[in-house]
Amino acid sequence: MIDPVQLYCWHFMSYPYLAPDFDETQPTGWVTVPNSLWDKQRSRGLYQQYIDQLAYADELGFDGMVLNEHHQNIYGLMPSPNIIAAALTQKTANGKIVVLGNLLPLHANPLRVAEEYAMLDNMSGGRIIAGFAPGSGPETFNYDSDSASSRDRFWESVSLVQQAWTRDGPFAFEGRHFPLRYVNPWPQPEQEPHPPIWIPGARSKDTLVQIAKNGYCYFLSSRSHGRGTAIARERFSSVLEEHGDRYLPERMGILMSTYVSETDRQAQEEAHEGIWYFLKNCLKGHQRRVGRQLTFGPGVPYIPPHEFRAYLENSDPTTPLLGDTEDWDDLDRSGSIITGSPETVYRKFMQIIEAAPVGHLLIQFHMGNMPDELARKSMRLFWTEVAPRLKQATGKLFNEKFKAMA
Amino acid sequence: MAGRVVQAAGRDIAVLEAGSGDPLIYLHGYADVHGVAGEFLPFHHALANGRQLIAPAHPGCNGSSELSDGHSPEDYVFHFLEFFDALGLKAFDLVGHCAGGWLAAEIAVRHPEKVNRLGLIGASGLFISGEHIGDVFMHSQPERGVHYTSLRHMLFSSSDAELALRYYPDGRGDIDEEVRRYEMLRFGSFVGFKPPYFYNRTLIDRLYRAAMPSLVVWGSEDHMVPLAHAEAYAARLPGAGGAVVLEGAGHAVHLEAPDAAAEAFSAFLAP
Repeated sequence: MIDPVQLYCWHFMSYPYLAPDFDETQPTGWVTVPNSLWDKQRSRGLYQQYIDQLAYADELGFDGMVLNEHHQNIYGLMPSPNIIAAALTQKTANGKIVVLGNLLPLHANPLRVAEEYAMLDNMSGGRIIAGFAPGSGPETFNYDSDSASSRDRFWESVSLVQQAWTRDGPFAFEGRHFPLRYVNPWPQPEQEPHPPIWIPGARSKDTLVQIAKNGYCYFLSSRSHGRGTAIARERFSSVLEEHGDRYLPERMGILMSTYVSETDRQAQEEAHEGIWYFLKNCLKGHQRRVGRQLTFGPGVPYIPPHEFRAYLENSDPTTPLLGDTEDWDDLDRSGSIITGSPETVYRKFMQIIEAAPVGHLLIQFHMGNMPDELARKSMRLFWTEVAPRLKQATGKLFNEKFKAMA
Repeated sequence: MAGRVVQAAGRDIAVLEAGSGDPLIYLHGYADVHGVAGEFLPFHHALANGRQLIAPAHPGCNGSSELSDGHSPEDYVFHFLEFFDALGLKAFDLVGHCAGGWLAAEIAVRHPEKVNRLGLIGASGLFISGEHIGDVFMHSQPERGVHYTSLRHMLFSSSDAELALRYYPDGRGDIDEEVRRYEMLRFGSFVGFKPPYFYNRTLIDRLYRAAMPSLVVWGSEDHMVPLAHAEAYAARLPGAGGAVVLEGAGHAVHLEAPDAAAEAFSAFLAP
C-alpha cells in the first residue's frame, strides 16, 4: 500500500506589526529592513502564539509541522529553526517535525547541525525530518557568505552530516571546506539509520541528481504551482530512473498556501488583510519586482555561467512575481495561495496533485499579519473538511498509479 | 589586437594582446575589458603604445576556465604566477583596475622582483576602518527586475553617464555582455564575497615590500572604492608619489577619462 498524501502545517513566523504605510515608506522587507521597526511591547508573546498554532496542528492530527531558517527579514522570524523545533518536541506528541532546512553553508562548522538534529531526534522520540538547504541570495548578504562556492560547500556539508550519523566515530573528515580531525558526535539520532533527509531545489539537474543518488526527498522550492510543478515532478522521475530508482510520491513535496472558510466569499473577506500584508510586505525583496529582490540574479552568482545564460535566454526580467499580484483573479491564476470553501480548496488541491502526484503537501496557513483565531479556524476547517477527502482521493490515486512500482 | 588562449597548469586563460615592446600585464576590473566589454577600449589601446599589452581574463571570465579550488587571494596570485611562467615572463610592468588592481598589489608584495612598475586604478584590496568598499553585489541586483541605476552610480561618475548606460543599460542588455558581467561577479564572489570583503586585511601592512615605481590613479567620483584607499595606497607604496585623482570621473576612471588616465600612465611608463 502506498500512503495517501501527507499533510503538514508550515509556519513562517512573519513579523505582523508593520505600519500600514510600510510598503510606501520602506524599499524592502529583507536584509536591510530597519530593525528599529521591531515593536518590543507588541511582540511579547508572539513566538508563543506561533508555537501554539503549530501545537494546534498536532492536536488536530496533521502529519507534521514545518519550520525553516531565515535571517534579518520580516518574512520569517526563525534565524534558528532548531530552537522552535526544540519547543515543539515538548509541546507536541505525534506529528513529524520538519526543519526545512538548516542553511549549512552559513555554519562555520556544519557538524553542529548533525549534533542539533541528533538531539532533536532523541528529544522528539524520532520525529525529526532533517532538511538541508544551501541558502539563496539574501543569506549571502546577511552572513557575507560567498555565493559562488555555496553549492560546493553545501554538498560537502550534507555529506559530513550524513557520515557523522552513519559512520562509527571517531573518524577524520577530509573535507575541502570543513576538514575535521575528529568526527564523533554524541548523541546519535534515534531513527535508523538516521532521520529522513529532505533537500529543497528548483529544477536544476545537478540538484536532482544529488537527491536521486543519495535517496533524499525532493522539496520543490516554488510558491506557484501549475505546469512548472508537473515538469519538475517529471524531470525528477526521469533522473530517478537514470539512477536505477523509481518515482514514488513519498519522494517529493511542495509548498502550498491556503485559507479555508465557510464560503469562497467569506474566505476572501477574512484572509484579505493577511494575504495582502504577506504579498506586499513579506515578499518585498524576495519575490516582488517592486524594490530590489535579492533571491536570484547576477549579484548572487551561485549558479554556473552556462545556467545563467540559459536563464537569460529563456526569461523576461519584467515578468511579475508572486508579490506583484494585484488582485484576486491574478492570485487565482498563480496557483499559489488557494482560498475558498472546503469544496473549492479540495478541488484546487486535487488539480495540482493530479498533475503532479507529490506525496507531501507542506501547507502555510498563517500569512502576514493574520490574526490567531483566523489561522486556527482555517486549519480546523482544512483538517476536518478537506484533509479526509484529500487522504481518501490520493490514497486511491497513488495506489492506482504507483502500486506496481512500490 | 588579438585574442588567444594560453594554457597554464591545465587551465585555459583567455588573453587579449595589443602593441609591441616591453611586456605590460593588465589585470581587469568589472567595468572594464573582460569584465563587461569583450575587447580593448580606448584607454587600453593608448596603454599599448610602444609596449606589448597582455590582458588575461580572470578565472571564469570571458573564456578563461574557472579556478575550481580558488577561494582566497593567495589562490589567484598562484594562478597568475603560473600564467607568467607559461608565457616565460620574468619581469614586467603590472597595471590593474578594481579587483585586478587588488591582485596586482598582492602579486607585487610577494614578488617585487617580477614587477618593474606597478599601476593601480581604483583598486580594491585594502581595509580602512569607516571607509568601506561598496557592495557591488547588492547593487548588481536590479530594481524592479530591470533598473541598474544604483549600480551605474557605483561604477561611474553618475548613473546617466554615457558609458554607464552603454555597458549597464536598464532591461535585458546584450546577452554576451550580461554573461560577462555575471562571470566577473562570480569571480569577485570567489575572491572577495566573504570576510575579507574585497579586501585582504593583511595587505596594507605588506605594501612596503612593493618598492618599485608605482602610480595610483583614481576618479574623484569613485562611489565604490573611497578616495581614502587611493591615499592609503599612495602613502604606503614606497615608490608612489601622490595619488593622481582625475576630477569628475568615477570608479571606471580609465573608461570615463581615457585620455587623462593614459597621459598619466604614459609619463609614468616612459622608458
